[in-house]
Amino acid sequence: MRKAIMLLALAGIGVMLIYAVGEMPPMGDSGNPDKTHVAPRYLEHGEEEAGASNVVTAVRLNYRGYDTMGEVAVIFCALCAVVAVLGREKTGLSRTHMDVSRVKASVVVRTTVRFLVPVIIFFAIYIILHGEETPGGGFQGGAIIGASIILFTLAFGLPESTRKIPLKSRVPLESFAVIAFLAAGFTGILFGANFLTYIMPGLSEHAAETIRQVMMMVIEIGIGFAGGIIFTSIMFAMIREDKYELQPDSS
Amino acid sequence: MDWTLNLLLLTLLLATAIAVIRIRDLLAAAIVFSAYSLVMAILWTQLRAPDLALTEAAVGAGVTTVLFIITIYRTVRKED
Amino acid sequence: MNFSRIAHNLNYVFSVVLFLLGLYTIAVKPNLVKKIMGLNIMETSVFLFMVSIGMVGSGNAPVVTEGVKPATMVNPIPQALILTGIVVAVSTTAVALSLCIRIHEHYDSLNAFEILGRDELF
Repeated sequence: MRKAIMLLALAGIGVMLIYAVGEMPPMGDSGNPDKTHVAPRYLEHGEEEAGASNVVTAVRLNYRGYDTMGEVAVIFCALCAVVAVLGREKTGLSRTHMDVSRVKASVVVRTTVRFLVPVIIFFAIYIILHGEETPGGGFQGGAIIGASIILFTLAFGLPESTRKIPLKSRVPLESFAVIAFLAAGFTGILFGANFLTYIMPGLSEHAAETIRQVMMMVIEIGIGFAGGIIFTSIMFAMIREDKYELQPDSS
Repeated sequence: MDWTLNLLLLTLLLATAIAVIRIRDLLAAAIVFSAYSLVMAILWTQLRAPDLALTEAAVGAGVTTVLFIITIYRTVRKED
Repeated sequence: MNFSRIAHNLNYVFSVVLFLLGLYTIAVKPNLVKKIMGLNIMETSVFLFMVSIGMVGSGNAPVVTEGVKPATMVNPIPQALILTGIVVAVSTTAVALSLCIRIHEHYDSLNAFEILGRDELF
């Protein structure tokens, strides 16, 4: 019964949406309405106005900086929610079911991971630092860093992983993106401009350009590392289980 | 844009989505979901969005799948 | 209905179908993890729709390079919005899955009807 009602409702929604698709302008046409307002300006002047030849990065950091700042706050809040629901791990003491069972990852897996993880992190740093000229940037690099640490944890187990990146070194990094964004924003106010202005008034062109590059770099590095560490912390909080935890004196 | 490749990728996307919904073993569904994200990443490069392709390959196929597998590991594997 | 236009706008049609599949999963499947998978499919369908809107046939990626005219580049705005959207999607998935773990600890089940203690939602 529930299924029948649902299918009927879905059919209704589907017919309406498909009808709307028929009324939309043809896909891939360069004269479509979405390409007539701000998009041409962003594409033509993005490089000198926003200081990034990758226009996606220019939009993300400069034209729509508020969006990105809110988004960074959202992933920080997600970490807070996960930690509030599941709790933090204890460094070197928290274990998973896999760590308790006798099954260990094979030598092949462990050796491969040991070689791969530094290479992946190196690639991630390249992606973060080159986000202004090539495809890439903070979010992409951060996700790759998080994936590499997840790979390490799956091969070597949670105690080893939490000893390598202990909680007290992760906590300051987690809020680094929000802090970097706010710092860059208030720098603008300090110089008498608006919040999140990159070009400071009253400076020579060269100095203003240098300050803009430095600010964008700090924000990108902040988003990248904080994103990666937040994904790592979420994964650690989800994978550990209370019942397998070691006592501090017995270790 | 290559319309043949586009249609092939979209069909593959639909097939993996239906597989995710139909498979009753949640672990298998999570792995197929990872394949779905990978097809999506290839589709992003077809749509000239290399930034999205990078993010989708790392987040969708990597982090999300691991989170699903951890949850299935700590709860139940069979859907009923 | 304008059928030739619908046949031309294939990406939109497929994103509509994926959206409906995700909605069906959320509404009908009782398992909570399966519902979250459906939510993810719905999210990606919306992403596909928005990026397809900004597409230009035989266009270039929105990176300024020598010899590429800005007029032939695809629209960068949907891409920048969806980039943040993908990361927000994984954050919401993480929160939902951690809630699933807690629910399973408390009720020893992930079936929405068993948790509610009745057979039908309505």
